[in-house]
Amino acid sequence: MNSLRRIVAIAHNTLREAVRNRVLYALLFFAVALIGTGVLLSTLSYVERERILQDVGLGAIRVFGVLLAIFVGIGLVHREVDRRTIFTILSKPISRSEFLVGKYLGLVLTLWLQIGIMALVFVAVSFGAGAPIGAGHAAAMFLIGVEVAVVVAVALLFSSFSTPMLAAFFTGSVWLIGHLTRDLRARGAHSDSEGTRRVTEWLYHTLPDLEAFDLTLHASHQLPLAASDLWLPLGYGFGYAALLLLGATLLFQRRDFR
Amino acid sequence: MADRPDVVIRVEGLVKDFRPGFFRTRRVLHGVSFEVRRGEVFGFVGPNGAGKTTTLKTLMGLIRPTAGTAQVLGRDVRETEFRRHVGFLPEAPYFYDYLTGAEFLRFYARVCGVAGRAREGRIDTLLAAVGLAHARDARLRTYSKGMLQRVGIAQALVHDPQVVFLDEPMSGLDPVGRKEIRDLILKLQEEGKTVFMSTHILSDVEMLCDRVAIIANGRIRYEGSPHPLLDEGEEADLVMTGIAAELGEELASRYGSRLRGIGERVELRLPQKDVADVLRRALAEGAELVSVTPHRASLESIFLDAIEEKAE
Repeated sequence: MNSLRRIVAIAHNTLREAVRNRVLYALLFFAVALIGTGVLLSTLSYVERERILQDVGLGAIRVFGVLLAIFVGIGLVHREVDRRTIFTILSKPISRSEFLVGKYLGLVLTLWLQIGIMALVFVAVSFGAGAPIGAGHAAAMFLIGVEVAVVVAVALLFSSFSTPMLAAFFTGSVWLIGHLTRDLRARGAHSDSEGTRRVTEWLYHTLPDLEAFDLTLHASHQLPLAASDLWLPLGYGFGYAALLLLGATLLFQRRDFR
Repeated sequence: MADRPDVVIRVEGLVKDFRPGFFRTRRVLHGVSFEVRRGEVFGFVGPNGAGKTTTLKTLMGLIRPTAGTAQVLGRDVRETEFRRHVGFLPEAPYFYDYLTGAEFLRFYARVCGVAGRAREGRIDTLLAAVGLAHARDARLRTYSKGMLQRVGIAQALVHDPQVVFLDEPMSGLDPVGRKEIRDLILKLQEEGKTVFMSTHILSDVEMLCDRVAIIANGRIRYEGSPHPLLDEGEEADLVMTGIAAELGEELASRYGSRLRGIGERVELRLPQKDVADVLRRALAEGAELVSVTPHRASLESIFLDAIEEKAE
């Protein structure tokens, strides 16, 4: 119970830091502006204007959510060390794992809040343009939230042992490859080379399969959704994030704060 | 070493190696050992780079020792729960500048598990004690360096700890602020708390500390009362005129370069214990006294002497 209180205190402070950070508002403004530009882009087409509008909107939410996850996530621990605020925190009766989990949850909550704001703008723009909004859109945005939670965990893992620049590079790479592993595996399966088959299979099983969190197609075409379309990615995402957090904690435990 | 109930901090054979490169190792603590007893103000003294902060951070669990043991309140410093009874102010602290003074203390109180009802009262009491009641609702980014130091001390005390670790607590403070912190440390001692204070300011050691440990190059050079140290270091500057030639030669052979003659005037730096004898004899032989000025050697000079003594 005390452990939970400490984690909540850290998470609350992380959320408060983000809420008071003007840079994040600027990024949020750009995201909202990009969702709005979907209206302009859709006017360039004579067909499927609503679909273009909503694809651009969901894409903007995903890209900005992930960009925020990477750029705030990599600095999450580094900032505390760089500013030496970690000295006073870790001298209190809080374990390093509680601190890390609290920071993680605080950032994920911050990003969900921002995704929520972007989602509201998306809904408003869709209503304004007369585009239909359904359960598929809610599910798509929900899974963007899960994807962002996985990306934050990746950023936290890399930032626990490397510099922010390297961590940003590694996390960005994992995100890009994470969206390609399904395709790579499918193509690798048809390869003549045993090595290619094995590498693409290994990549698919090791790196996060981020396509599992993409329901944009379901949303824009209003395809029917099964409960497993939500629960399976949800379980997979949080399971994967938990493993990454465990790895980050193990690395974090070994660090000296000079 | 047998456990003694009055020992609250025990460090034995502490060794710390850092790895500045992949294949290089640098040893910064070479078997540091000392004890701090309950209720005392303990000064941990040494020049910059001596290993003070590394030792302190090891005691706070921020740095993992390579070898040796460190215990606070009978618990290994790698544990977490004992820190419920420990407060820490790091050197030149930097805090969450987006928080107000009250929010800052509330956050640390929550991390330390201070219950909601007691929390607000404790925050107000502490802010008043460190002279920051007026800045309760101001963001820390608007605080001066001295105010940050004081709110830092308040966060170290927010959970009413038994042992308080202060790393250079007077740094960045003006004379009034320094006095306030000195009074606060003495008040903590009156309340029965143990204070471990890392410093390189000799006057603070003299005024506050019951015992000290001197560290240099990662090794403890001295542990005990600060007063013999100060006595050894105390000297006086004696200025006289009309000193007899025979006495002048004798003093020159005794004190060497510490005797300087400018015309009729002779300046001599000598241990305070020698002042009365030299003065009595010089006056008896017709010399005239211009001035006697007590001179206190800096910690660095005492310290360098201590290192040289060890080397010899």
